[in-house]
Amino acid sequence: MTSLTASGLPASRRKPAGYAALIAVAVLALAVGAALPWLVPTKIAMSLLAQAMFDALLATSVGFLILQNGRTSFGQAAFFGLGGYAMGVLIARQWVAPEAAVLIALILPTAVAFLLGLVISRITGVAHAMLTLAVGQAFYEVVFRWRELAKGDDGMSFDLPAQMFGFSARKLQDPAVMLVLAWTVLVLVLLGLALFARSRIGQVAAAIRDNEERARFLGYSTVMPRALVYAIAAFIAAIAGILQASYNGYIAPQMFHWSTSGFALIMAIIGGAKFIIGPAIGAVVLFYIKDYAGQFAEYWPAIVGVILVIVTLTMPRGVVGLALMLWRRGTRR
Amino acid sequence: MTDNVIEGIKLSRRYGGFAALDNVDIAVKQGEIRGLIGPNGAGKSTLIDVLSGRAVTRGGKVLLKGDDISALTPQERRRRGMARSFQRTNIFPDLTVEQQLRVASWAVPGADIAEVMDELRLTEMADVPAAEISYGDQRRLDLALALVGRPTVLLLDEPAAGLTMEESLALARILRDLANRWKVTVLLVEHDMQVVFSICDRITVLHLGRTLSEGTCAEIRVDPTVIAAYLGTEA
Repeated sequence: MTSLTASGLPASRRKPAGYAALIAVAVLALAVGAALPWLVPTKIAMSLLAQAMFDALLATSVGFLILQNGRTSFGQAAFFGLGGYAMGVLIARQWVAPEAAVLIALILPTAVAFLLGLVISRITGVAHAMLTLAVGQAFYEVVFRWRELAKGDDGMSFDLPAQMFGFSARKLQDPAVMLVLAWTVLVLVLLGLALFARSRIGQVAAAIRDNEERARFLGYSTVMPRALVYAIAAFIAAIAGILQASYNGYIAPQMFHWSTSGFALIMAIIGGAKFIIGPAIGAVVLFYIKDYAGQFAEYWPAIVGVILVIVTLTMPRGVVGLALMLWRRGTRR
Repeated sequence: MTDNVIEGIKLSRRYGGFAALDNVDIAVKQGEIRGLIGPNGAGKSTLIDVLSGRAVTRGGKVLLKGDDISALTPQERRRRGMARSFQRTNIFPDLTVEQQLRVASWAVPGADIAEVMDELRLTEMADVPAAEISYGDQRRLDLALALVGRPTVLLLDEPAAGLTMEESLALARILRDLANRWKVTVLLVEHDMQVVFSICDRITVLHLGRTLSEGTCAEIRVDPTVIAAYLGTEA
């Protein structure tokens, strides 16, 4: 039954799911992930789903920035590319041990994003969006032109080492193995973000997003929490880049391109950027729409554009928002 | 040792060629509720901004319990016990009432949000997002955010703006009661004279960025310069 507040308004009491419920859902999702090689019928389907997981991670990264910082990024591919390139180049050149290459590929984009976040978190609106675009494209131009680094615009193939962290690294190019790994990583990332949102720093970051001035007058530094969110978002994008580079054994400037960031943003909006799981759902939906539309139309991006317009106009909170609204309506009856 | 808790000495602030504050002195004693009145553009909000660190004074000084805090950031002033509210409702719309009070409490050691919710009659709507509560409740929430941790000094910029007469007077009663019991020194900008005269111990009148007059409510009511500049003959 809906209760009434003193102000006479129905109280839409939004108690977030408890920790036990979150962990239970995550465990269930991990179990589903472990069973995927038996649930998905073909290697091609597994491969497509694994690639959808990479997109889901990148979209989650973009959505997390919107959700926690209230900032839209058109340059998140910079950290996706940086993760993939750092690992690919270091492994191909054998400059460091493969394990160290993976760690560097995680730390470098995270650190770069944190330092950038200290500056760009102070900027809002269109200027912020343009700045992220410029940063992303700057990285793109560097890898596009710097042939000695990774063969410039041709991109570069590399072989995974035989062993990494005590496992056979080449199995990462098996669709079934990569699907389970990417799914597991995505579930753990989503769980981590849900826990972050409930943490003290997560709630302070949300308060700063809502009203930066008031947060300052409550006694908070408003730059550090925002920079931390940029760093976490970049860390997630880097994971996506590392997984994709490992799976394909190939890195190319397209990983940095603004269109990669743009598609991730579209995925986040279609899924619902106000929800932690929204961008991941949007990525999977859009991935399959792209795949399906590509079979029939050369100009499939136009179809994606139409879908984006429809979603923006009819589902401002995305697919997840719509599903939640329908579920609430259903349970009220 | 001074018994003034908050003091502004020769505070000046210009916006381009316009002097919003011009050598204003103000001193408010422990536990006092000081009203700050004057016509639009008198410099009331600017004075609150300068005292709270939102705007910088040119040459003047702000003292909190005798310490010069002119160079401190708003965050540092908050940690020293100075809190403020804003002219427009300044809350966190997407957070629930309890969430935002909890966030406010983390910045102040030992703060008890249950007592603030109880005093401001917000307990019942603790789990409701602030965007969904009524305007009157939002104004009380705005005040509650400033009161978390029982600040030493509370700077309020039109806390009753947009409220009905009944809501304004109820808010005034809460404020008077809390100021007495929690020993909070309050500097209050308000246009609603009924609110001002019902709760203020003393009143400072600003006009064109300068102090026009200062005194008790009874003195201000009959001050001819104040009547001419602001109150009018029906006050």
